[in-house]
Amino acid sequence: MANNHLTGIGSESKQLATWYLTVAAILFGAQLLFGLVAAIQYVMPGFLFEILDFSIARMLHINALVVWMVFAMFGSVYWLLPDETGIETIGIKVGKLLFWVFTAAIVVVVLVFLFVQVGPADETTIWFITEGREYIEAPRWADIGIVVVVLGFVFNLYATGMKGNRSGIVTVIMADMLAFAGIYLAGMFFTDNITVDQYWWWWVIHLWVEATWEVYVGALAAYGLITMIGAHRKVVEMWLWIEVAMLFGSGILGMGHHYFWIGTPEYWWEIGALFSALEPLPLVAMFIHVLYDWGKTQGAQEALGKKTSVINNKPAFTWFVLNAFGNFLGAGVWGFFHTMPQVNLYTHGTQFTSAHGHLAFFGAYATILIGMMYLAVQGTNGIKVLRSTKTSIWAVSMIAGGVLGMTVALTLAGYVQVLVSRAQMGATWAGYFDGQSGMWFSQAMDWRLLMGFVTFLGFLLLAKDLLTTGKNPVHER
Amino acid sequence: MVEMVDMSVISPGIALNDFLPIFVSSALVIVFGGFYVGIYTAVKVGMFKKWAMPLAYVFWLLTAYCLYIMGSLMHVGDFTAKALGMAMIGYLLLPHAVYYMQHQVHEENDH
Repeated sequence: MANNHLTGIGSESKQLATWYLTVAAILFGAQLLFGLVAAIQYVMPGFLFEILDFSIARMLHINALVVWMVFAMFGSVYWLLPDETGIETIGIKVGKLLFWVFTAAIVVVVLVFLFVQVGPADETTIWFITEGREYIEAPRWADIGIVVVVLGFVFNLYATGMKGNRSGIVTVIMADMLAFAGIYLAGMFFTDNITVDQYWWWWVIHLWVEATWEVYVGALAAYGLITMIGAHRKVVEMWLWIEVAMLFGSGILGMGHHYFWIGTPEYWWEIGALFSALEPLPLVAMFIHVLYDWGKTQGAQEALGKKTSVINNKPAFTWFVLNAFGNFLGAGVWGFFHTMPQVNLYTHGTQFTSAHGHLAFFGAYATILIGMMYLAVQGTNGIKVLRSTKTSIWAVSMIAGGVLGMTVALTLAGYVQVLVSRAQMGATWAGYFDGQSGMWFSQAMDWRLLMGFVTFLGFLLLAKDLLTTGKNPVHER
Repeated sequence: MVEMVDMSVISPGIALNDFLPIFVSSALVIVFGGFYVGIYTAVKVGMFKKWAMPLAYVFWLLTAYCLYIMGSLMHVGDFTAKALGMAMIGYLLLPHAVYYMQHQVHEENDH
């Protein structure tokens, strides 16, 4: 099974995967571009005023983030399905049709966000412009369309999984994607009570990113370890089940940390504190997993007298290792900073949240999905060993360095807000503005912008490498 | 409204000078925890020499100490203190349990 991913040529499922991954990469670029606009507006508030206001740029930034990751997740599933099940994906024609429907819908939504932006305060805005829910702001028609597309995707996954060889990885993905699709429904209706409304909205946001997405990443990491370093399937899959148990065990009720201050009952403080304290455990465990498998596999090879690396895709493996490390740092360290209610009282809604969001989304998800793009490049070009190039090294260094730089800058800005806006001025209206007018805050925003540019340049190099490295003669074929 | 809030959870307030040590110690909880499991695993798979193992436990002790500092400065209540204690025991046992299971599966498949 170790080298089955090299059979990308001729597989319709893998062809569809490359379509999804290509659109994902384009949307990733859009996410960074609109993020840059929003970052510039922190430094120069008049930039694109009444043309592309901060509210719109930020909306495009965070929605593009979610959508590119969903595209890349679908693409990754279509990529690994033939390898894992041993058969071509069932219903691939429907899958291709739904890909075009999904892509067209996203283009229309982005154009509406860009050029229409706001609508009247009635139902037409919710149906045709935006639902106004952070992260999932697509209008209702697109919401319904997304559900149809996802149901088609889940059907393909289940039909293929049930007919072909249902490996542990496929079984986990099947269960996970059903939860992933089902939870989205919790964000599709409104209630008159804002607390109740937010209560359900968090089911989508938290249970996606801290439960189903993390489990999905565990499954991808398992697939990557088997395909890239030839790790032992039974060991990897046994470990995957432990991760699933730990992630769901801590992640589901870890949602309590979002219920501290939205009007939900006080028992959520205790639940949130307990399970949030446990949430770093699976992240640490995932970190061990990669280290263990890498060490064991390389050690076994060296015991046979071979000094060569067991890694057959260096750029992808670099991104996968960054994922283990970035998940640990972004979700673990930066999450634990402010997950306890005692300190969250002060940090909630400051740039601390933004710092955590940037590093966690990047570390936990962007890294591994970019790694999957490199696996697709290797497979579609029939490359036996894909080596790192100068461009790939610069890309990964600039993107990782840029995101880390943004995170540090946002953390400093958040720290100023905690001290000034919250601790000293008691979360008052005046405190809110005073916290943002000081030198430390404004300099942090300058550094965030600079690091945002570094990240974007890194993305351009990444795009160049993904488009050209397949033809580079440096690789072993 | 103030009377309705369970003050044992969110009070007393955090002193201004305590925020930095809280953030640093909470970050170090995870960082030292990472060193603990990282060194433990590296020794077990033969990437590090065996003499490095005590160093792993030193890092676990540092993790526990940082968590104690963090909890004290935050003035956590009894329940949260117990929750944090459980988390520390989890950190201590986790690499042992995981390595044991991984090793057993490897042994079953290699022999």
